[in-house]
Formats: sequence, C-alpha cells, structure tokens
Amino acid sequence: MSSAAARPGLRRVEQIMGTAISLDLADDLPTATLHELAERTFDWLRTVDARFSTYRDDSEVCRLDRGELPVAEASADLRAVLERCADLWTSTDGFFDVYATGRLDPSGYVKGWAAQVASDRLVAAGVPNHCVNAGGDVRVRGRTAAGEPWRIGVRHPWDPAATCLVLTGTDLAVATSGVYERGHHVVDPRRGAPAAGLRSVTVVGPDLGEADAYATAAVAMGAPSGITWLDRLPPPWRHAVVTDDARLLHSRTLP
Amino acid sequence: MRRALLAITGLAAGTTALVVLKGGPGAGQATAQDLPAAQAPVAPGGSPTPGGVTPSAAAPSVSATPGASAKPSAKPSPDRRPASRGSTRTGTTPAAPKTTTKAPKPTTRTVTGSSVSYKYGSLQVRITLSGTRIVDATATGMPLGGQSGQRSDDVQARYSGSSGEVVAKQSADLSTVSGATYTSTAYQRSLQAAIDKA
Repeated sequence: MSSAAARPGLRRVEQIMGTAISLDLADDLPTATLHELAERTFDWLRTVDARFSTYRDDSEVCRLDRGELPVAEASADLRAVLERCADLWTSTDGFFDVYATGRLDPSGYVKGWAAQVASDRLVAAGVPNHCVNAGGDVRVRGRTAAGEPWRIGVRHPWDPAATCLVLTGTDLAVATSGVYERGHHVVDPRRGAPAAGLRSVTVVGPDLGEADAYATAAVAMGAPSGITWLDRLPPPWRHAVVTDDARLLHSRTLP
Repeated sequence: MRRALLAITGLAAGTTALVVLKGGPGAGQATAQDLPAAQAPVAPGGSPTPGGVTPSAAAPSVSATPGASAKPSAKPSPDRRPASRGSTRTGTTPAAPKTTTKAPKPTTRTVTGSSVSYKYGSLQVRITLSGTRIVDATATGMPLGGQSGQRSDDVQARYSGSSGEVVAKQSADLSTVSGATYTSTAYQRSLQAAIDKA
C-alpha cells in the first residue's frame, strides 16, 4: 500500500485546557488504532484540566487552595505535581513559584507535564514517532510520517505569524514562555511586580514539564539574570531568549 | 507582500495539520505529502497543500469537534469572545455529495469560518472543498500591518547591523510551532467554524 517513505499517520486538534492541543501520530498503525490512541491522549488531557484547572471551582487545585481538600487526600497526580513544583521552586532560586499570584496556580508546570506524560504514554502504547503540541509546549519523538526529524519553529515575539528560530530533533521537549500574549503577566515573586527584559524564553531539553517551568522562571528573572541562570543549566538543556530590545541570544549549540 | 508571504507560510504547517483532520482515515499518502508542501512559499489565497490531498471516499466518522472547550467553566481567555458567527459561502454548489462511498464527482466550493478576534486583530479561515474533502485552507486577516507589524519593522530597522544577533523572521518547513498559543487558538476556532458549516 504505502511506500516505505510515506506513512499515513494521523493528525488531530482539540481544544482542551483553554488552548489548542495538536497531536501528530506518525507511526504506521491502522487508522482506527491511531484514532483510539488520540482519543485516549485527549481524554488524559481533559482529566488533567478537570483536576488542575484554576478556572474550575470544583477542580482539585481550587479545592486544595480553598482548604477544602487536605493534601493527604489529593490524587497521586496532584501530590506528585506539587512535589515537583517544590523542587522547581528550589532549583530556580524561588523564581518558579506556584504562589506567585497569591494563590495556588501550578499552571506553569502542569501544561508541559501533562503533554510530557501524554508523550510517554504514546511511546509505551507503541507510537514512538509523534509530536504533541499543547498550546505551544511541544514534545516530539522519533520522526515525522515522511521519515524526517521534527522541525519546531519558535514563534516570533512580535509577529504571531512568523518564527524566529527553527529547532530540529527526534527527541526534544521545547517550551516557550513569553510576555507577548498577555502583556508582562509573569510576576517576579520576589518583587511582586511584572518582570522585564526578556520578551520570550525558549527552553529545550528532555522533559517538557521542567522546560515549561524553567522558561517561566527565566521570564520572571528578566534580563540579565534570567540569561545567566539559563546558562548554568547542565547539558542537555539548551535555551534561546529574545530580549525586549529584540536580540536573540541562545546556547552555543542548539538542536 | 513579503509580510503576506511570511504570514501565510508560517501557518502552512498548522493548516496542513488541520486539513488532514477532515481527511484522516483513508487519506492515504496525504499526510506524508503535507510536510514538503508546507515549506513552499504560499501566495495569499494560494493552496498550501498542492497535491497534498487525494480524492477519496467519504469523510471520517471521527469528529474533530472540540469537546472540553465548550464547557462554560473553561479558561476565559480574551480571544474567546464570540465574534461574528456568520459564515460566507461561495462556490459552485451549495451542498456536497454525502452518501456515496465512491469518489464523488468533484465539485469545488469554499466555506469561510467565523471571524475570530485575537490580540492582533481578527482572522478568518477559508476552506475549499472538493466534494466532502477539504483540499485547501487559507487564513485571511493575519497581521500584515498595524501596530504589531510596525513595531516589528521598527525593531528590525533599529537593530539591523548592530553587533548582537537580531531577531530575524524565518519561515521554513515546520512540523509545529512552540509558543504560538494565541494565534493557533484563533486560527483553530475559525477553521473549526468553517468545518462545522461545510
């Protein structure tokens, strides 16, 4: 049927967690199987939304924040996320802070983490070639249906229709945090004021939840301390930042 | 003109991804051909998927309709304000042949999705159908000027030639885009509206 060079694969988009989630499954599996795996993936992300949304009064995060749910009775997922967020608070010198806005909001980790788990589960389910894009947080593995490494554009901070950088790889987590969408919304938890200096931060590495948190933290640090901090991340972590004065600075080697 | 090319090309990857939604099962080599198609510079109104979709049987049964987003408790982001829900139909026939399992006689028509507001204005996705299959999707109203565009040009002009690396625009054969939440959301909403009305 299909030649060796071209697998059919499957692409789906759904609106979950207040954003567009796109899924590109590039393995040569029966279409019905791919659809089922896509459904399972979207179901997982809906579960995460129901549990972690700060916009749903009945979510676990909101109930925990209001003191209605003891931590000990929270789901294993929520407890694991809170633990990771505490680690990240330490490793980012306090700049990744789920209480930065005055209430519990782990969103800076959750979206990336959920997509990372989705990707891990796809590998376990026999789909080692895929791309998960959760509202701009990207996890790619293997190759595209055409057999090429994935090419991930990084959105241009002043032009939503353009990209300012292209990354290529077969096993990458890419998270971009920027101030271009909602203004300077990332708060420096130490000063309580919006951070300035970095227009957009892209972090590339092995784990999307951490990449997401690191990018958020670096934006909160601003320039130049955010750049200095990113430079200290050990390999294989890489980064690229765009400053408020439109300079692109990045790790010496980028994928 | 250059901006228009960049704007449309930047969306080509997303466009092809979404085009395949409708063509999922049975699309054959369509998916594999999308990627090379995405890198070709696309003129405004042109097809981002030349030859990318082959005529085939009826549309897949699995719907691409967003599920969770419809819930009222979902995140109230500013670009979710309902824009004009109207749609514009043009083309040669008002309805697609839906019953046959053989390739229908291709009749081409276009359906335009709702105009969706986002930070840089409003955009609208227009799809072209051959029978029940989407063969083209283009976005109109992408930022080609206005304040965000001017700011970008100012920045380019001010920093060109200085020692640091200046943010340059790139358009290439992309699989996906990191950090594109705003536009992708607006784009997807308008596309979905067009699909719903097709």
